[in-house]
Amino acid sequence: MPIPSVQTPSGRRNLYPHAWHDVFPVNARLPKPTEQEELMYRAIQTFVVALCLLAGCLATGLRAEENIRPLVDALGATAFPQKIEAVKALAVSGDPKVGDILQNLSDGKLYAPKTGGAVYLEGPSGGTYLDVLTGAAVAEVPGNLAKIRLNNGLRGAIGTALSQLMLLSPDRAARLAASRDLLKDANPDNLDLLNSALAQEKDAEIKATMEAARAVILLKTEASAEDKKAAIDTIAARGNRDALTILTAAMNNAPDDLKPSIQTHINAIERSLAAWDVAQNVWYGLSLGSVLLLAGIGLAITFGVMGIINMAHGEMVMLGAYTTYVVQQTIAAVAPGMADFSLAFAVPAAFLFTGLVGVCIERSVIRWLYGRPLETLLATWGISLILQQAIRTIFGPTNRQVDNPSWMSGVFEAGGLAITYNRMWIIVFSLGVFVALLLLLKRSKFGLQMRAVTQNRRMASSMGIRTPWVDALTFGLGSGIAGMAGVALSQIDNVSPNLGQNYIIDSFMVVVFGGVGNLWGTLVGALTLGIANKFLEPYAGAVLGKILILVFIILFIQRRPRGLFALKGRAVEQ
Amino acid sequence: MKFKSQILGAFLASALATTAFSSVQAAEDTIKVGVLHSLSGTMAISETTLKDAMLMLIEEQNKKGGLLGKKLEAVVVDPASDWPLFAEKARELISVDKVAAVFGCWTSSSRKSVLPVFEELNSILFYPVQYEGEESSRNIFYTGAAPNQQAIPAVDYLMNTEGVERFVLEGTDYVYPRTTNKILEAYLIAKGIPKEDILINYTPFGFSDWQTEVAKIKEFGSAGKKTAVVSTINGDANVPFYKELGNKGIKATDIPVVAFSVGEEELAGLDTKPLVGHLAAWNYFQSVDAPANAEFIKQWHAFTKNDKRVTNDPMEAAYIGFNAWVKAVEAAGTTETDAVLDTIIGTSVPNLSGGYSTVMPNHHITKPVLIGEIQADGQFEIVQQTPQVVGDEWSDFLPDSKDLISDWRKPMSCGNFNVATGKCGGKGS
Amino acid sequence: MITQMLFSRHEKKTIWAVFLILLAAALVPLANLLIPEDSVFHVPGYLVPLLGKYLCYALLALALDLVWGYCGILSLGHGAFFALGGYAMGMYLMRQIGDRGVYANPLLPDFMVFLNWQELPWYWYGFNHFAFAALMVLLVPGLLAFVFGWFAFRSRVTGVYLSIITQAMTYALLLAFFRNEMGFGGNNGLTDFKEILGFNVQAGGTRAALFAATAVALALALLLSSAVVRSKYGKVLVGVRDAESRTRFLGYRVENMKLFIFTVSAMMAGVAGALYVPQVGIINPGEFAPANSIEVVIWTAVGGRGTLIGPIIGAILVNFGKSIFTAAFPEFWLFALGALFVATTLFLPKGVVGTVQQFLARRKEQRQADVVEKAYQDKATAKAESQLAILEPQAAE
Repeated sequence: MPIPSVQTPSGRRNLYPHAWHDVFPVNARLPKPTEQEELMYRAIQTFVVALCLLAGCLATGLRAEENIRPLVDALGATAFPQKIEAVKALAVSGDPKVGDILQNLSDGKLYAPKTGGAVYLEGPSGGTYLDVLTGAAVAEVPGNLAKIRLNNGLRGAIGTALSQLMLLSPDRAARLAASRDLLKDANPDNLDLLNSALAQEKDAEIKATMEAARAVILLKTEASAEDKKAAIDTIAARGNRDALTILTAAMNNAPDDLKPSIQTHINAIERSLAAWDVAQNVWYGLSLGSVLLLAGIGLAITFGVMGIINMAHGEMVMLGAYTTYVVQQTIAAVAPGMADFSLAFAVPAAFLFTGLVGVCIERSVIRWLYGRPLETLLATWGISLILQQAIRTIFGPTNRQVDNPSWMSGVFEAGGLAITYNRMWIIVFSLGVFVALLLLLKRSKFGLQMRAVTQNRRMASSMGIRTPWVDALTFGLGSGIAGMAGVALSQIDNVSPNLGQNYIIDSFMVVVFGGVGNLWGTLVGALTLGIANKFLEPYAGAVLGKILILVFIILFIQRRPRGLFALKGRAVEQ
Repeated sequence: MKFKSQILGAFLASALATTAFSSVQAAEDTIKVGVLHSLSGTMAISETTLKDAMLMLIEEQNKKGGLLGKKLEAVVVDPASDWPLFAEKARELISVDKVAAVFGCWTSSSRKSVLPVFEELNSILFYPVQYEGEESSRNIFYTGAAPNQQAIPAVDYLMNTEGVERFVLEGTDYVYPRTTNKILEAYLIAKGIPKEDILINYTPFGFSDWQTEVAKIKEFGSAGKKTAVVSTINGDANVPFYKELGNKGIKATDIPVVAFSVGEEELAGLDTKPLVGHLAAWNYFQSVDAPANAEFIKQWHAFTKNDKRVTNDPMEAAYIGFNAWVKAVEAAGTTETDAVLDTIIGTSVPNLSGGYSTVMPNHHITKPVLIGEIQADGQFEIVQQTPQVVGDEWSDFLPDSKDLISDWRKPMSCGNFNVATGKCGGKGS
Repeated sequence: MITQMLFSRHEKKTIWAVFLILLAAALVPLANLLIPEDSVFHVPGYLVPLLGKYLCYALLALALDLVWGYCGILSLGHGAFFALGGYAMGMYLMRQIGDRGVYANPLLPDFMVFLNWQELPWYWYGFNHFAFAALMVLLVPGLLAFVFGWFAFRSRVTGVYLSIITQAMTYALLLAFFRNEMGFGGNNGLTDFKEILGFNVQAGGTRAALFAATAVALALALLLSSAVVRSKYGKVLVGVRDAESRTRFLGYRVENMKLFIFTVSAMMAGVAGALYVPQVGIINPGEFAPANSIEVVIWTAVGGRGTLIGPIIGAILVNFGKSIFTAAFPEFWLFALGALFVATTLFLPKGVVGTVQQFLARRKEQRQADVVEKAYQDKATAKAESQLAILEPQAAE
């Protein structure tokens, strides 16, 4: 292909006639429409508009069961705006089949020729198609059928249309979702629908949502001043960020006499939100802290209690995350119904597997290095390289997908707090692990032996404790806990061979800050660092915030060279 | 002591032996091609795929009879995500292995690190990743997207189709997002978006705790105007970002996120069901409906013996770069650098989206810009495609580079010709 | 006095090592520039900066060994001093580009131009003079080490705590230098250098000269370290390493001694970084990565800490291996490297040099013991014989 044009030293514009700013962004994936097609589009467009008007009249007036086929076929148009028009027209047509049709469209089950035309429903087996309205098999279909494509605009239109249809559904959840959608959409056309739904509604929560939606719509219409004032109060009573958004928007086109009252509401909401923001920050901090705690607590055993500078700790976390992946894949293959409970299997599996790896490492390498803590750093660093590369060789270097179970997805509101389920469960999990570990160390025979061995190996040995076994099991315990941390981290972070590297430094900081050899120190240290980080982040930015935390740790160690909760006694001098 | 001199002696001797050995190898009757992608370290996650893609392309070319009657031979090295090591390995590939061309690098840092080496030793590098522009080298071909081949069409789409009036420019703190966001900011302001409707925020590499940032986006998006996020978040940080978005219930219909570094490969580590409708802008998606693409995917699955492996945009860029090089070498009848540099400009090769890509005099290529929406199966649904766009190395939206152009054809042969002063600045050769 | 210190009373092996390094300083450039390319003895152009890089690493490892091997301070942040020295040199090289950058801005480096910086930040002033930059190469790492050490050693932060906070230090610097607002080129760092002291950095002659300079710097550092280690102060340092409290109770100001050696070591690391940058052609925040500092520790351990030759050999050996393996087994070299570290700690706890020394010492001991025993046996035999001789006449009787 030749160079598009000759070079002129005067400027680049001539050099590249196809520079992006010369291009009108059309949907050029399709062949450029011919004149004939253009005419056809226009005809369809006019037809659809006409149908919309007609259907609108019919819907409000007769609600007749007329044939909606032309509207359905308009869904097969090539341009998104036409499809959106068709969806809106279908929604108000009142035909009982519309719900199913739109749902099928949303699920990607409707097909139309690539160049636009009649729409077909995907058949039960591949390559067969059904009539959208009758459900009867269609023998002859055009050759170039393709799935009808959606974009955000169309998806939004379908959502709104479905929620209009669902507003009178007997299912409570469907009604709630529908009323929320209407609140978000707040289209004045839905006012009548909303009024009739409100009259029937019994459920308080749905009713409140609907009233709010009605209030928002009222603000947009030419309602009376009293109605608007009542509407503003209804919205303000919700008191959340959405209410603030609505009020801020309403402020712009409100009549002057309403403005002061809106402003007072806005101020009040902003004040309460500011207070909630602090609480929200604490929550974020706790959540970050719980992740740090999980990552650090295994290290508190191997590094804090045993004195091994375990640079392979991060890789144990990574192994735990990969175990989760393997367990999830296995369950998906063997018992797909159990997918939501795969974590329940993954936690013990990760604990046992990484624990076993830990025991192997201890028996083969680390047991030769007791009393030489700095050398454990070198050996474990080498082990971490080997583990990383091994995982890369087995699973490949790319991320693996670990799904959130349904009970760990989504968000709920508690007062002004938005709490995501996965973060909440991770906090619960990390505290659970902490308590279990504390009990194990303080209350069990193994814990007693472990403490004895770390405090005075020779004395413990002469009391009949099998110190090599205790060493191996202790290291295995630390590794196993790191593996459980990996299960939790797989829910919020990448599952890749580099996963561990991202946490190793933070883990060491937590353990050293909290005080080596003290589990309570690790807990307090992790939560303090997490919360401090989250309070700095909005002001200093994420990068600077982290730098400040590191500088703070360095300075803190100068003040208290042995961390927050220093061990006292002879063990310190070792 | 004696043994030390022996060790040193042995070391020097073995170093010399390696050199001698390698130069013997180079005399064999193959054409060597360097593959310079990290196989370990932080970037292995992205770059290993490109190494595999290059090996596949070379294998396919050999099946077709090689090049100039010789077989192609890939020389793979591992620069281990370490930027100085990239320069060292590049030097080794060119001087020791005598490769005819090198395909490699991912990050801008690695490209910056090897650039002087390629210019000094006069070899050719094909760089297959989208980047920030503001560079033009005689010895480098940029087959990925320049900002105008990705960022600006994406923002246009948001404004025209989604009606977005408020933008969050969220990026990882390094040069690509910084420059892209500078360009976008200037572009948006030129389009009449007020400055207070643009929020720019940066996070560190590998950032994993997105709670505060996502909350901030949500808050910024609640000002009553349609808001979108333009994400230049890099690699590793994307998965936790999207997981947080999904969990916070921020849907594409509320606040769409358009990303420039998220492709099929990145989505492979994610459950995309909560993310349906979020966008990405690239020059290629695996879902492109074109015969060349179907063929390429088939080859890829056969080569990797895994029919779940996805293809992505940098792979297409590598494909275009490799084929353009092959064609230029055939036209020149030699792999000698200067001859190939002359013949490659103007070379057109099929791309995977059903059209042709041409190597332009500024060492960038023409490609269409595709906007895709994430689907539940981890693929992208293409919602818009522009005609061919020429990669623009010096952005029109940065005050210091708007007067610069680059044209590596003789007699101009200049990477930064200033059209205002009529002079070739810096390093024209 | 310094000369006297440098050239007096070294062990014979140190003298040998210095001699070898200086020989390399002379031979490698000569073999590169003078011997024709087809000769077996020609050192190819690509090898010169590579060998130069190894020597820079060797200098860095030697610096670490001074504090770790002789004073027991395991610094996991020496990469930071190295990188700071590198940045100081990089800033000088950036200023030398002048208006030859892509935007032809006479004052601002390219990365500042396209990020719309209007003026040069104050801390970039002065770096257009080599002397100032050279001073900063020593001062910046030295000052950081001094301040850091002053706080840390006075508070008696020791052992792993010290290791971890040095790691925190280099990690914080890593994050800071990644920030583009810092004005150090962010993630891309400083690159595309043109000239050093008026010579083209890419010319073969400059490369050879830089290699020679690195070798000379390493030789000088070796002499300096040897002088320090063999002085009375050096003996006390070893005392601090082996029994810090006891040394303190003997009346030595332990924190001052540590502070001195830590600062000197940081300056040496800075010099290594400064020599490294023009040879590899780039300096970026990646050099601050904690993993890099750990690697330095590993070179030292592999070579043998507590010996002066060990870290040099370790650095060269490991990096040479890395160069070979990353090209020969790109997919598997991490296994080899990891296994090397594990094997070294398990089987060669004193490192290559330490183990060889131990072996030689034992052999020497053995030999001496043999000699003694032989002498004793000879004596015993003689005695026995003489006794026999005394007895014999009796027996004969």
